[in-house]
Amino acid sequence: MTASFLDRQQTVAPPDFNRFLVPPAALAVHLSIGQVYAFSTFNLPLTKLIGLSHSAPEDWDLKQVGWIFSIAIAILGLSAAVFGRWVERVGPRKSMFIAALCFGGGFIVSAVGIHYHQLWLVYAGYGVLGGCGLGIGYISPVSTLIKWFPDRPGMATGMAIMGFGGGALIAAPLSVMLMAHFKTAASNGVLETFVTMGVIYFMYMMIGVYAVRVPAADWKPAGWTAPAKPKTLVTTANVAVDMAWRTPQFWLLWVVLCMNVTAGIGVLSGASPMIQEIFSGRVTAVSAASFVGLLSLFNMGGRFFWASTSDYIGRRNTYMVFFLLGIILYSTVPTIGHLRSIPLFVAAFCVILSMYGGGFATIPAYLRDVFGTYQVGAIHGRLLTAWSAAGVLGPVLVNYIRQYQIDNGVPKAQAYSVTMYIMCGLLLIGFLCNFAMRAVDDKHHYRGSIQP
Amino acid sequence: MKGRLIVLWTAVGIPLAWGVMKTLETALKLFQ
Repeated sequence: MTASFLDRQQTVAPPDFNRFLVPPAALAVHLSIGQVYAFSTFNLPLTKLIGLSHSAPEDWDLKQVGWIFSIAIAILGLSAAVFGRWVERVGPRKSMFIAALCFGGGFIVSAVGIHYHQLWLVYAGYGVLGGCGLGIGYISPVSTLIKWFPDRPGMATGMAIMGFGGGALIAAPLSVMLMAHFKTAASNGVLETFVTMGVIYFMYMMIGVYAVRVPAADWKPAGWTAPAKPKTLVTTANVAVDMAWRTPQFWLLWVVLCMNVTAGIGVLSGASPMIQEIFSGRVTAVSAASFVGLLSLFNMGGRFFWASTSDYIGRRNTYMVFFLLGIILYSTVPTIGHLRSIPLFVAAFCVILSMYGGGFATIPAYLRDVFGTYQVGAIHGRLLTAWSAAGVLGPVLVNYIRQYQIDNGVPKAQAYSVTMYIMCGLLLIGFLCNFAMRAVDDKHHYRGSIQP
Repeated sequence: MKGRLIVLWTAVGIPLAWGVMKTLETALKLFQ
């Protein structure tokens, strides 16, 4: 492979290119990096590397192992923000290749760390190197898809980001199967699984590297013309990334994403104990795991459904639905708990999780509407810091408030009611920020050449 | 071009369908 193969100029598509070849290229990357959501399948085995059937005193504990995922997610947000402009400049092929090297390499470095039982190498491997692969891989296809689908940007980016949700559905059973396959009397199979997954994911991401193409500068879908009078908030101008993050619109969208993600991630992180405690005696640990599986499916499906819907009803209206419907559902959950209705409870949280996924998938198209296509990938990268913040805020809110309630004598079944009302408050803040969104002032528009 | 389209969509569709099926297998236990 020569360096020129990876250059942006080499990826410009010929005139007869079918644009539906690009979403699977993006999906190949997102289905791979979505593995991070299933990392918890390794948590327990990583605490039994020496003891094998049990945790030996020299083994790492769960708290230490838990940091691997946290570091990876924090680096995801940081690297997306830091490398966003570079990704825009070099194009999707080179950035996807670097993402594949980092993500696959992260597994291999971690495997070395497991072999020598050096936790810092696992932190550096999967956490830092893999985290860079996550961040670069996440944003690399976004602006390319938006340029290929100016008529349906929500659907196109929703499809890719749906892959990130789907990646966990593949990785969870795959990890379990591989660990069982490699298990011997001397090893619990984690090291071999890490090496195998590193190789598999690198090769799978290379499908995206080979298949991705960017459209020619003057390309438009056949028969499509940009609407003469764009909808409110949809701009035909462009805002550069360095200017975008100085506008109030960027920070309003930052809060919109942060509030939407906080409400969803809090539930996702504590879903299993929550349903068991609210329906104490009626929901077992196995049923709770089924509930979490169902939430993952709705998280994934919501990404495609809501992002595609936003092409018809508009981005702002889609978020209005997320916030209003979210407030209604969260405020009725305590009542559903009192009614002891499991189907209603499950249905409410499935819709909530579909809107959590939908929030992630709709934001790139929202950014394109507000800031134009010029550096939308880089702007998206900086906005993803809202995800990192929500990743801390959501679980802390749910767990801390639950514990506070229990410590003050509230029965476990009712310990989540206050949390639900606080989630309503967060969603109300998101609603107000979304309501305050206006078009970016003309003075912020970029007037230079938009060729990368 | 059409063949490439089929190959690429199959390459991403099969693992995704497998993952969804495996998750559904587990999720449906909630209603049993």
